[in-house]
Amino acid sequence: MAGMKTASGDYIDSSWELRVFVGEEDPEAESVTLRVTGESHIGGVLLKIVEKINRKQDWSDHAIWWEQKRQWLLQTHWTLDKYGILADARLFFGPQHRPVILRLPNRRALRLRASFSQPLFQAVAAICRLLSIRHPEELSLLRAPEKKEKKKKEKEPEEEVYDLSKVVLAGGVAPALFRGMPAHFSDSAQTEACYHMLSRPQPPPEPLLLQRLLRPSSLSDKTQLHSRWLDSSRCLMQQGVKAGDMLWLRFKYYSFFDLDPKTDPVRLTQLYEQARWDLLLEEIDCTEEEMMVFAALQVPGRAFQSGGYLQGSPPAGTDPGLDDLDAALSNLEVKLEGSAPTDVLDSLTTIPELKDHLRIFRPRKLTLKGYRQHWVVFKETTLSYYKNQDEAPGDPIQQLNLKGCEVVPDVNVSGQKFCIKLLVPSPEGMSEIYLRCQDEQQYAHWMAGCRLASKGRTMADSSYASEVQAILAFLSLQRTGGGGPGNHPQGPDASTEGLNPYGLVAPRFQRKFKAKQLTPRILEAHQNVAQLSLTEAQLRFIQAWQSLPDFGISYVMVRFKGSRKDEILGIANNRLIRIDLAVGDVVKTWRFSNMRQWNVNWDIRQVAIEFDEHINVAFSCVSASCRIVHEYIGGYIFLSTRERARGEELDEDLFLQLTGGHEAF
Amino acid sequence: MGESSEDIDQMFSTLLGEMDLLTQSLGVDTLPPPDPKPPRAEFNYSVGFKDLNESLNALEDQDLDALMADLVADISEAEQRTIQAQKESSQNQHHSASLQASNFSDAAPLGYGTNVAAIGISQYEEDLPPPPADPVLDLPLPPPPPDPLSQEEKEAQAKADKIKLALEKLKEAKVKKLVVKVHMNDNSTKSLMVDERQLARDVLDNLFEKTHCDYNVNWCLYEIYPELQIERFFEDHENVVEVLSDWTRDTENKVLFLEKEEKYAVFKNPQNFYLDNRGKKESKETSEKMNAKNKESLLEESFCGTSVIVPELEGALYLKEDGKKSWKRRYFLLRASGIYYVPKGKTKTSRDLACFIQFENVNIYYGTQHKMKYKAPTDYCFVLKHPQIQKESQYIKYLCCDDARTLNQWVMGIRIAKYGKTLYDNYQRAVAKAGLASRWTNLGTVNAAAPAQPAQPSTGPKTGTPQPNGQMPQAAHSVSAVLQEAQTHAETWKDKKPALGNHQQPGTPRAPQAPKSSLPPPPPVRRSSDTSGSPATTPKVKGTGGGGFLAPPVDFLPPPPPPPPVDDPELPPPPPDFMEPPPDFVPPPPPSCAGTAGSELPPPPQPPVLAPDSTRPSPAVAKRPPMPPKRQENPAPPGGAGGGEQDFMSDLMKALQKKRGNVS
Repeated sequence: MAGMKTASGDYIDSSWELRVFVGEEDPEAESVTLRVTGESHIGGVLLKIVEKINRKQDWSDHAIWWEQKRQWLLQTHWTLDKYGILADARLFFGPQHRPVILRLPNRRALRLRASFSQPLFQAVAAICRLLSIRHPEELSLLRAPEKKEKKKKEKEPEEEVYDLSKVVLAGGVAPALFRGMPAHFSDSAQTEACYHMLSRPQPPPEPLLLQRLLRPSSLSDKTQLHSRWLDSSRCLMQQGVKAGDMLWLRFKYYSFFDLDPKTDPVRLTQLYEQARWDLLLEEIDCTEEEMMVFAALQVPGRAFQSGGYLQGSPPAGTDPGLDDLDAALSNLEVKLEGSAPTDVLDSLTTIPELKDHLRIFRPRKLTLKGYRQHWVVFKETTLSYYKNQDEAPGDPIQQLNLKGCEVVPDVNVSGQKFCIKLLVPSPEGMSEIYLRCQDEQQYAHWMAGCRLASKGRTMADSSYASEVQAILAFLSLQRTGGGGPGNHPQGPDASTEGLNPYGLVAPRFQRKFKAKQLTPRILEAHQNVAQLSLTEAQLRFIQAWQSLPDFGISYVMVRFKGSRKDEILGIANNRLIRIDLAVGDVVKTWRFSNMRQWNVNWDIRQVAIEFDEHINVAFSCVSASCRIVHEYIGGYIFLSTRERARGEELDEDLFLQLTGGHEAF
Repeated sequence: MGESSEDIDQMFSTLLGEMDLLTQSLGVDTLPPPDPKPPRAEFNYSVGFKDLNESLNALEDQDLDALMADLVADISEAEQRTIQAQKESSQNQHHSASLQASNFSDAAPLGYGTNVAAIGISQYEEDLPPPPADPVLDLPLPPPPPDPLSQEEKEAQAKADKIKLALEKLKEAKVKKLVVKVHMNDNSTKSLMVDERQLARDVLDNLFEKTHCDYNVNWCLYEIYPELQIERFFEDHENVVEVLSDWTRDTENKVLFLEKEEKYAVFKNPQNFYLDNRGKKESKETSEKMNAKNKESLLEESFCGTSVIVPELEGALYLKEDGKKSWKRRYFLLRASGIYYVPKGKTKTSRDLACFIQFENVNIYYGTQHKMKYKAPTDYCFVLKHPQIQKESQYIKYLCCDDARTLNQWVMGIRIAKYGKTLYDNYQRAVAKAGLASRWTNLGTVNAAAPAQPAQPSTGPKTGTPQPNGQMPQAAHSVSAVLQEAQTHAETWKDKKPALGNHQQPGTPRAPQAPKSSLPPPPPVRRSSDTSGSPATTPKVKGTGGGGFLAPPVDFLPPPPPPPPVDDPELPPPPPDFMEPPPDFVPPPPPSCAGTAGSELPPPPQPPVLAPDSTRPSPAVAKRPPMPPKRQENPAPPGGAGGGEQDFMSDLMKALQKKRGNVS
């Protein structure tokens, strides 16, 4: 035992005094002094510390951190000598799990306790388990960007920080489902709200906020993000993260394994959110047409009916707009020829018709005629119009079968313009015709009919009613939120005010279009997604995102060996891309499947890669450390070894083998 | 005959009983009124003939027999119905042979004078008489209640839906059929009956039977528009009748049966499409060197992810200006969401691109000899048009490439963007069909695992077919929802086949698989929940499945009754069956005629012994990549990291490579 001494008080063994600070790295912290020898085991030291502190507390999570060596002393059977600890070592006895604030892919902040002592890979896996996100190997943490000092302190609204730091997961067992969510979320209303935040898409952001947020303006800007990735093989403590720091949780590797909306709603939602923010902040470019689809997919029609969309939005009944809708709809029942549904069977076998006065316009060369009122009958998939109602039994002026036609909305809600443009195919070509409706209700019914007809279905189709609803819902959002960014109220309540189309598209489209121009474009794209459920829409959104040519490329600025200028290296899940920094053109692509080996020379910070046929590439990293490039390459190789058959367990060693290798550095 | 009509009888009564039950539970005690109108005015016509007589004459004996069998079945079925249901009248066809005959002759004059093609209406299924004077029927459907349905309403709605489904099944009794003249390579023609539920794949299978060709994946149905000088192949999942109904009556369009390498070129040499556009020279070298293993992984990467990867294609093409004969060179890019071009003075970044066309409503065609016809710069043209457009129109887009390679890349790229994963599924089905085991066996151990994919029912339905990006979700207008459903049924049938095969049940095309969600029908009604087989169609199924044409000409028997309902809900998940040699939709001939028909039949199905059970598991296991070698203690000291690391990394990489090699 350490601390044997003579009667005079001199120590006669080789023991010495070891000072250990209690608490996190705080020089003012209380400290205890122990008498130890080089042979003392860490476990014994721990025990002594606890005895000395003499406080009743759960110390099980505590461990010793060696500040100078930036190392945890986790091997309790190792001796101090083995660790090489001498009396001058600054040791801290503190908790291994500490609170951090995570910025989630959906940009919400969440406080939870993360492991500061395990390699980041494991820490992320634990976080993902807590959040119930499968396949944690695809995610990682980044440092939050440094805040620029603003000249005038803008009064930033205190953002809500969700808290999961009290939640403790039982180890080993897969969390059971309870009330539709993993059991550990259902403890309190607070955690439940947290789960909803995680598993449901967030309302569209404020257009003003969008404009204010930083957007990359060039390729080199896009490299900034990737310089902030933390190192997977070292722990948070080693990387200088402090308790309470803000970290970003993001999907790092764009290789999403086995996306299943049923089993992982959180993962799907967060992936969707990351995709959405990528698009909104122009991290990834898309065309105008694609943007409209993305915009429409953010507001799937059915989501409104299920009420699952906007968090905290009032139930439909309290919304005056929707009340109006209901009233108008019931009026419409009378308007549409026929009586109330007395006989269900009847309604099943009869294909409903629409008959009404509509104004019709047929654009022709050399004609000045505008819209003219006609009596229009819409039966099955065929649209017939007559001069007036009396002639209806006779031959129509024209009859159009809408099957396979293109339906384009031409709507301006504030201008009360509700037109449907039809491009009807015929053997001779397409004929164009415009139907002008009087109001939203009429429009929604005819529009829904046209859409179904274009797909060869009739209004007897079961989706007709929901189609009508979806159109109305979208229009009502337009009505309440259709203004420009200027007249849009700010503040947390804004989301309940309605939908601002500017919140759905990247800011460059805000500059390009006025809100009222944007609305019909989104509406047009919306018609194809109106029937999707929330989850389907999310999945579709992710798929569309994945199909973008620039999807999944992480950019790093590098300088190739023998080159005199900086270039961009794009790293995707299957290839490396050399990109011209100025023009953005792809210079060369190498696929991982042709790669033989890659090496990192940590001294000169150079990555060298050998491909088949003796193609050798070497570059030094400029914008990020070569560790990040190395980890990306290794990570993608690792992800490509995953197999469906292998199931859930993760080969952590392999991952660390492939991405590590720089501990020595 | 007696047996089968009994069978029908029984099924129908069960079905009716079932509907009755539902009706009562709704508080309505009448039988559901029959559908007041036939879905379409014309039911049957032929494609490619001057008149119907010609088309009938052209039919081979067995086809005629099959046709007759169908007709007879129709009649008997109609009789059954009259007995069964008192109220109904309109829905059933009380044909008499003479009536049909008169119909035929009526139809004849409709033929046009053109030498190849004309469509005559051959109505062997009569237009329906007017609906019964049921006043209730005249009431149009009021709009469904707008407010969210209460629970009871929902239940009622669910029931109503079921009834509706049942009614739709009844409606399917009337299946539209076409007699189509298909032009062969050797200038001969074959006539065959195509029913409206058949997909191009079914028709191909049918033609395989008839022509005894090698079951190559390159065989395709090919449509030619002589007037527009355009042509294209049917995609295997397309509904043939639907495509043909877009043709005008006086059309000169033809259907061909031929081999086209282009059809599935991307799956044979994916590198030509996916790895091409960077550095021509080099890519040619690599494309030659690309081995099967790499092709496989490239395909998997491109087609088996959450979304299909559309090949990156861009380059200058000539665009024919609307209505003019001048061609303008523009820089085009292919994206999953459509074709874009770079407007003048802009760059080719995404934000500057202008949309040229999206693929939702257009088909892609090859243009032939457009150099002559439209003064195109080259003869490598492709055309995008709405399938319904049959004449020259400003809505047809003409594009012209510099060379054949570019043309093929664009056409394939557009098809991938338009059809997505379906294309790959089609290919794999074609491979399975062709029994091209050699291709897979050459690949060694991977052979079982890779093609197993199409047969994995769990992945397909679960995630849905990945939509190509930007392509809006839509029921492709060419394939209606019902057909898609039918398709999936066909798939399930295919999947089930190995299992069913053990029972050696001939003459059971498309054993309907009752979806568990819908009515759990009693055994005979089992097929009522199958879209493709309603009680009334029982006899027809044989014709539609392709097997009908094999019906023994001699004994004229209706197909044997459906197999006793094996406890199919409990069927073990089908083993992936790429090796499965028997044609999917063509059941083995009934034993009775095996002797006679045997000679003209394709190689008989391999005995079930060869069924995957024995061979499958091991390769599947082998596919699992072995663990990469464990890393030894990292020996590299901080300073000398360079050398040590390199060795380690190269070792690791080699190990990985090796492992991958083992895998495939």
